[in-house]
Amino acid sequence: MTTDARAAAAETSAVAFVGRSKIDWAGYLFILAFAVPFLLFNVLPVLFGIYVGFTDWAIIGAPEWVGLQNYRDALADKWLQQAFVNVLLYALIIVPGVVVLGLAFAMFVNRSWPLSGLARTILFTPNVVSATVIGLVWVWVLDTQFGLLNHYLGWFGIGPIAWLTSSQWSLVGVSIASIWWDMGLGFVLFLAALQDVPKDLYEAASIDGAGFLRQQLAITLPWIRPTISMVVTLQIISTMRIFSQVYVMTNGGPAGSSASVIFHIYQTAIVRNMLGYASAVSVLLFLAVLAVTLLQRLLLREVSHG
Amino acid sequence: MASTRLLRRRVPYTRLRWSEVPTWLIGMVFVAAWAAPFLWMVSTSFKLPSQVMTRDIEWIPREVTLENYAHVLKYPIGTWALNSLIAAVVSTFLCIVFSALAGYALARLRFPGRQVIFMIFLASLMIPPEIGVVPLLIAMIRIEWASTYQALILPSVANVLAVYIFRQFFLTFPRELEEAAIIDGAGPLRIFRSVAMPLARSPMIAATVIVFTLNWNNFLWPLLVTFDDGMKTLPVGIAAFAPVVGTHTQMEGYAVAMAAVTLLCIPSVTLFLVLQRYFIAGLSAGGLKG
Repeated sequence: MTTDARAAAAETSAVAFVGRSKIDWAGYLFILAFAVPFLLFNVLPVLFGIYVGFTDWAIIGAPEWVGLQNYRDALADKWLQQAFVNVLLYALIIVPGVVVLGLAFAMFVNRSWPLSGLARTILFTPNVVSATVIGLVWVWVLDTQFGLLNHYLGWFGIGPIAWLTSSQWSLVGVSIASIWWDMGLGFVLFLAALQDVPKDLYEAASIDGAGFLRQQLAITLPWIRPTISMVVTLQIISTMRIFSQVYVMTNGGPAGSSASVIFHIYQTAIVRNMLGYASAVSVLLFLAVLAVTLLQRLLLREVSHG
Repeated sequence: MASTRLLRRRVPYTRLRWSEVPTWLIGMVFVAAWAAPFLWMVSTSFKLPSQVMTRDIEWIPREVTLENYAHVLKYPIGTWALNSLIAAVVSTFLCIVFSALAGYALARLRFPGRQVIFMIFLASLMIPPEIGVVPLLIAMIRIEWASTYQALILPSVANVLAVYIFRQFFLTFPRELEEAAIIDGAGPLRIFRSVAMPLARSPMIAATVIVFTLNWNNFLWPLLVTFDDGMKTLPVGIAAFAPVVGTHTQMEGYAVAMAAVTLLCIPSVTLFLVLQRYFIAGLSAGGLKG
């Protein structure tokens, strides 16, 4: 540090400690270390991917510009249509599952009963394991003949259901495993939100004679609505990009009944070497995620105003 | 982060009232159901393969065996684990160093464009990385980096969530601490190293556990970029024990598969159990999963 800078610093501090008026050029250096990998591996590939989407390209040779051809092909692709329907179905099952269970569990654990600490740990743990663990454990739990779930459903006279090996059920089977995997994050966010609700609101309400259910509807839900909206958004985004558990549990089958859009991208890019087409599909997926997210934001806002 | 404080506080539990016992019991049954797949996984992994496919559910193995674990070790599990460990540790380390620097600069240093840079980082969270995956793979193949450590490591270094965690922490960092150092004539780098970082223990642990877990569990990218068996990561290698996955399937039965995934669980679950509160604090602060 030079004497000049020291003098400048002393001068600033003598004036007031509200903030330094000079520009910290070091800031750019601090950012640079992060910005280099960010640009090279996060931003550039995405921009290049958008370009590749307008080309015809197998790994060998140069990409050849084909305009919107890949997008036309994509819209006519029966398998892709099914994959898009599938991710919407996944979202329709997994998002409500995660929100309802996450909120119910958070409300349960928020009251400090015996063992609620242990319950909190158990409920979040599935969130930290890899897709391989989720996939393999659930393939076993959902086994048609010897699986845990069908065994206990049998007590109620249900089943046995071919969770992963029939085309009616495979998507539901993968969804059950996904809810188990994803619920922890929503649960933790709900729990944090619940703990911020002022306790005296409940006291006032119970003096007024409001029961448990009324208190939840009148106090809890409005208070944590922003968190609900956030969890729904995050879950929609991650569910529409579902891939690994599909890959491990069903490999998209039977007959594409559980294939997701990213699974389709994986197949066309890696197995069939259609890079341009796969890139176009990933752009379409991004647009679909964006559209659904915006629609959901709009709907949740409508509900709150209505 | 009021929520963080509350999560950390040990709330003395109130005694159950009789009227609450049914609610408590029902809730706990659901919690137990949530734990069941894990318990079943561990239980199955210690069973003799002949006692796995049974009509009756036996939670406690009739005969405990380590045979399945021995069987798993016939595969290059050690190599895969080492690959996973190298990739996750190096990538997490770089991510934390770079993110702490960036997070500090975004919160504490004044320079033109600071807000814009932060907005760009946040906006990038909206774009699914899958758009970039195929071009990145091609690039890796072209420069002959496929199936290398740098290909596994570098793409996961820039994790915006970590920057966000550090920035949020440094925004609330008391300015007086820095001022004393400025008067002593310390430059930004020295203030960062000897004043800011030593006090940033909790965001550092929070960011580390979250980023490490994400990297350890990473699936799509290692699956794409590793072509030979010896460079696979643990999650990708073990996925081949699934009964349905394409051509690389090595169906050994559920007992062996459960032993494999039990091993795979151990690092991330242990990390979570030990550093639980940092984990939850970091996630609640970010409200995001990579």
